[in-house]
Amino acid sequence: MTAPSESRTYRLAKAALLAVLVAITPAPSALRAQAAGNVVAGAKSEGDAVAELFKDAEKLFDAKKYREALEKYVEVEKKSDQAQDMYKAVISFRKGSCYYFMKDWPRTEKEFTDFLAKYPKGTEDFFDSDNRRGVAELTLIESFSSQGKWDAALTRLEKIRNSITERPEVRVNAFALSAKISVDRAKSGDEAAKKAGYSQAVTFLQQAIAEGVSTPERREAAIQLVEIYTKLGLVKEAEQLKARVDANKSGSPADLIRSNFQLLSIGDARFTSADSAVDEIARGTLYRQALASYQGTMRATAVTRDLGKGMAAKEETLEALTKANPKPNDEMKVRIEQARVDLESFKKIDAEFKANKDYDAIISYRIGLCLLELGRPWEAFVAFKDIFERSPGFTRITGAYYYYVITLRQMGRREEAQKVCKDFLKKFPKADEVSPIAIILGEISQDNEDYKEAIEHYKWARANVPNLTPDAAMEIDFRIAACLFSQYEWDEARKAFDAFSAKYERSPVRQQVLYMTALCWFYQGKYKETKEGFDKYQGEYPKGLFIPDVRYRQAIVRFGVQPPETEETIKLCEEWLKDYGADKSDEIQVQLPDVHTLVGDANIRLAEGFDKAIREADLVIRAAQSPAARAKAQEEKARLDKLKSGFTDKAIEAYITAAKLGQRNANALEFVLRELNKMLPGRGEHRRMRELYMELYNWDTKDPKALTYLYEVIRATERMGDRKEFAERSEEIQKKFSAELAKARLKVDQLERANPPVQATIDAAKGEVKALSGKLAEELAAVEKERQASIARAKDNALKILSDAVAENINDRRQEGAEKLIGFLAEKVAKKVRRVRPGAQPEPGAYTSADAEKEITRLLRLDQNKDSLVAQARGYYALGQLAVYTREPAKTELNFSKIAANYKPEELSPTILAVVGDHLLEKGDLAKADAYFAAILTVARSSEYADYGYAGQAEILLRGKKFKEAMALCDEAIEARALMSKELNIMFIRAQCLAETQKYDEAKKGFEEIAKTKEWRGEKTAGSLYWLGLIEERQGRLNEAVAFYRRCYQGWRKYEGWSAKAYLGCAKMLIKLNQRPDAKVLLTEMLSKDRIKETPEANEARKLSLSL
Amino acid sequence: MRNPSPLLAAALLAVTASAQTFVFRTDRWEVNDPFKMDTSVMPPKALVDPKKGIINLVRGTVERTFTQGGAEVTNTRKLSDVQQIIWPEMPRLIEARANVNRGEPAKALENVEPIINLFEPLKKVPGSLWLEATVLKLDALDRLNNDAALGGFLDALEKDEAASTPELATKIQLARLLQRSRRGEHESVIREADDLIGKMDDTEVLARLHIVKGASLMATRKYEAAMNTYLRVPVFYGTEQEQVPKAMLGAALAFRGMDGPAVREQKLEETSFRYLRDIIITYPVSKEADEARKILPKEEVAKAEAEQKKLVAAGLLPDGATIKKSAVRPEDDQSANR
Repeated sequence: MTAPSESRTYRLAKAALLAVLVAITPAPSALRAQAAGNVVAGAKSEGDAVAELFKDAEKLFDAKKYREALEKYVEVEKKSDQAQDMYKAVISFRKGSCYYFMKDWPRTEKEFTDFLAKYPKGTEDFFDSDNRRGVAELTLIESFSSQGKWDAALTRLEKIRNSITERPEVRVNAFALSAKISVDRAKSGDEAAKKAGYSQAVTFLQQAIAEGVSTPERREAAIQLVEIYTKLGLVKEAEQLKARVDANKSGSPADLIRSNFQLLSIGDARFTSADSAVDEIARGTLYRQALASYQGTMRATAVTRDLGKGMAAKEETLEALTKANPKPNDEMKVRIEQARVDLESFKKIDAEFKANKDYDAIISYRIGLCLLELGRPWEAFVAFKDIFERSPGFTRITGAYYYYVITLRQMGRREEAQKVCKDFLKKFPKADEVSPIAIILGEISQDNEDYKEAIEHYKWARANVPNLTPDAAMEIDFRIAACLFSQYEWDEARKAFDAFSAKYERSPVRQQVLYMTALCWFYQGKYKETKEGFDKYQGEYPKGLFIPDVRYRQAIVRFGVQPPETEETIKLCEEWLKDYGADKSDEIQVQLPDVHTLVGDANIRLAEGFDKAIREADLVIRAAQSPAARAKAQEEKARLDKLKSGFTDKAIEAYITAAKLGQRNANALEFVLRELNKMLPGRGEHRRMRELYMELYNWDTKDPKALTYLYEVIRATERMGDRKEFAERSEEIQKKFSAELAKARLKVDQLERANPPVQATIDAAKGEVKALSGKLAEELAAVEKERQASIARAKDNALKILSDAVAENINDRRQEGAEKLIGFLAEKVAKKVRRVRPGAQPEPGAYTSADAEKEITRLLRLDQNKDSLVAQARGYYALGQLAVYTREPAKTELNFSKIAANYKPEELSPTILAVVGDHLLEKGDLAKADAYFAAILTVARSSEYADYGYAGQAEILLRGKKFKEAMALCDEAIEARALMSKELNIMFIRAQCLAETQKYDEAKKGFEEIAKTKEWRGEKTAGSLYWLGLIEERQGRLNEAVAFYRRCYQGWRKYEGWSAKAYLGCAKMLIKLNQRPDAKVLLTEMLSKDRIKETPEANEARKLSLSL
Repeated sequence: MRNPSPLLAAALLAVTASAQTFVFRTDRWEVNDPFKMDTSVMPPKALVDPKKGIINLVRGTVERTFTQGGAEVTNTRKLSDVQQIIWPEMPRLIEARANVNRGEPAKALENVEPIINLFEPLKKVPGSLWLEATVLKLDALDRLNNDAALGGFLDALEKDEAASTPELATKIQLARLLQRSRRGEHESVIREADDLIGKMDDTEVLARLHIVKGASLMATRKYEAAMNTYLRVPVFYGTEQEQVPKAMLGAALAFRGMDGPAVREQKLEETSFRYLRDIIITYPVSKEADEARKILPKEEVAKAEAEQKKLVAAGLLPDGATIKKSAVRPEDDQSANR
């Protein structure tokens, strides 16, 4: 991200403020204060006329009329030839001062050079104890500096700096001035000179503050050094020194504000450094530091407050001085004047600051950028929103919107980001950011694979954003074509790409356009055009980005043309694998499974090529008259089978390789797994199946697809038990006995046909047959026993695999897949249970539900997870589920109740919370159920069971007659699109709440919607019909109410709760309609229904019936 | 004619003010810190420097004994004669603040009450620690979730003439808002907090106001607004380190409230976890870190704690972040209130 340019207004305001602040800080070299001396006292020693003249000059000087004052001083000088040196020095000093204020640098230089040369005692004690030589020296240096006479200035300064007799403040000022001159001198030089100048300035200032920063002069030097450090990017040093200055600050508002702006400058310096830093860690650190500086900066209200305090203090000082000195002497005049100047300065700063409307916004803007860079989009969002809400007139508002859109995208708020984009494009059509924002508008939909919407946005931008840059317009056109491509509108996409190529001949995406154009032909199955397209691409870009894919597609073309070039396909694929097989780039890794799949497909085709010949060989075998011909045909068939098998093996090998490489290529993976699922089990290769799926399962056991893979692992494991060898052995045994049995039966037959038949012999022969049959059965049973044992072992292995999978996640509360696996495991274990009729005893040694419970407890390895609350809870859940499969509701109830009794909601997984919560609700334990549902809505809101939370809590609120709250919850669920499997419940509760709050029209709509929805037919349909009747009844429409009640009890008798209410309601309506006999008949009918007799409504009906 | 620099004078004064000093109209006395104890002896006893004044609260005086001409002389001044107090921050006050942050309100009260009593007669004297201690007491009572005690204290404070000082008046207003928020007057609390936010410029008060407003928004299920409100604290008042963990915890809970199947793309649960982990990493001994540990799954807590250890080893945590927590006293255990 490039640093957005700072608002010019902001920069100017800041610079102005700093400049004024520097100016108002008491500076010891201020000529102004020192130039006003005791004029009268000095002048009185001369003649009256000269004294008056001098007095006039001083008055003019005091009134800042330096030119006029200078004339008077010159006049005094002319008349003071014989005066003492002290007075001559005073006149000279004043003249020099006038030149200085008139910015006449050459004359200032001359006057002060003369002053210093002629008057070694300076003004002596004329003004005060200071003889003004030091000031004259500094002023002379400043005049040198102003004329670019750097060396002369520095030479003189060096003398002061090194003079041990000079006062410390003067020496500190000399260091500070030397630094200033070094910087000024370097400004016009090259980079090296600038660097040297700053380096020298740093040295001077460091010397100035060598003895601390406790005096105003030293603090001033330190502040100057902080600024130079900041400019040089030595932010750490700047911050440390600033902290020292702050620790010694006077607490005056001026100091506070000045410190604040330095902090802002430090933040800016850090931000700029971060922006250009290459190292990621350093960047992060710098952004964090910049953020801290910006966060520590005072906001506009605080700055204004401190400025206000400063002004008030100055006003107070001025007022006090003015009141206390109605007739001020000269010294007081100077102090009053100084106070007035200070006040004016503050007023100026205040006015300038108030004029700057960007101050707060720029801080928020920078904070937002830092946070965005630090990967904290939610906080950046808050910072940018602050700008829109509080500083809509911010000069960089369009930049803020741009980053706001980026922030929203990072937050995953696509729709909101697009809305902001569109509003922005309408509101700021001329902003610099329109092009990127127009692209982002469509890109968001494109990234979300909603290509239709993306095209709409892109087209809207092309039509409605007039200031798109040519590059952006081109990019949008390309994106439209790419979206058509992604939507599989091959013809439209190809036309769009063709049009694009014609319009932008030299576009940077030409390579991609050529490639995608050929792909459009490819996907339309037009291989001739595809080949031409890819040939063109390969011709223009022999080392192009898409060459691997193009080569792969060229192989597919060979596979698809008529007649097919299958061998050529395999050859091209093999070359591809040779060239790119070792390439670890993402594109190649994703494409590898495709290429292997193609190899597999080609080999399958080659294998299928033998089918016709094999069939013919088979026919020849059947039709062969001679054993020799049959043998020859059999030999041919065997040869063909072998060849076919060879290709099939290669195909399987290729598919398996594709599958194992297919973690990132879902399409290829899905295809090859489908093929392998058909081929491997048929060939009895269950072990291979299991190994393959085990590898897939281990990619990511938490992946939703992992369950499917696990299922295949278990199936293959189970099938592995029924090994091919058992069938072969059985066949062998049967073959062996069939010949002997045939022989024995033939013998019996012949004996029976013998004349006369000998019964004893027949019986003996029959006995032999029987014995052989018995032996056959015995041997077959032995194989079967072995087979069953093998199957049982395999099933145990399968259960162990499942158990391992469950045990892996059983401790993780958030693993929603754990309950699914538990359900799967429970189902498997339940299948082993031999069910008996209720009350009947199971056969001895039979596998009972008690055995299943023990086994499931063992398989879940609960003893290894005794410390895990969720694992133990899952144990009860598993037993509850097992009982569901073994149809033992009492046990389900018992286990779910144990969960409810022993665990806090926050200890449970979302699935258990939902299932047990519903169970508790059904049992009427509302308090516990409420806690479960509340837990879903706090800790598992995004889980698949959020709807249970909403529906459950709303139901409880409804039962507690808190209709508004229940409805608010339903609305929240609808808004959050969290209806899912509980949509019907939530809609039904909502409609009831509406009815209870007398919003009958809306309620009616709700119930009607439920009643007419076919998929929802059931208990809620009955309930809706009853409620529709009730709504009519409450509105006094008795006949309509009767109609609904009738529909309810006539159509939905099996829901006795609702039909009882409907019967009773209908009877009451009939009474109101004066149809008492009909009501009586109806009540009699109602009470004759077995299902209704026990309902609460039945009691009321009996009483009502008696009263009729 | 050069005037003495007021800045220089202030700097010189600062040098002499390193110890606790009472400034009277004509002179200044250094005084003993009555809470400083010599723990090398059992039971610990007060550390007294005989050259410094000893504050006698019962008599409302401060006495200083010194030797003059070989004889011991004792001077006594009334506490009401003190014109200014220079008192470097008191360790007991620092500890009380740490108690509040760590969720030990009863301990905090135990530490802060004697300070309030000590400065009671001096509450309006510039430099008095009474205000700071009183504000801390308000915080402690607030954390104690004892509305009756807080209400009583606020009632008494409001009658006190010191309540007219803008700082205390604001704090009282804030505490009242908190009380009302707890009582469920959320709509009016939100309105009033908004109004105050527009008027204030003290960052600490602003941070607190945002937290109160955030809590009321949460209670009214306005999760998005609550998140926006809470996050303003780390974003704009990030220097208010005591308030940031509270706001981060609030934001984390707001994210959970905002979560739902329809907004899965926003990965709000993950965001919530991230804020909770940040609390554990950056403010490991705070009350909010304890809360975060309860909410987060074990592995997330372990991850955060490992990260926190790394930061401690690298010396990257702010001062005071790793102060060890003392055992929770029964009276501080607020678990039953949750």
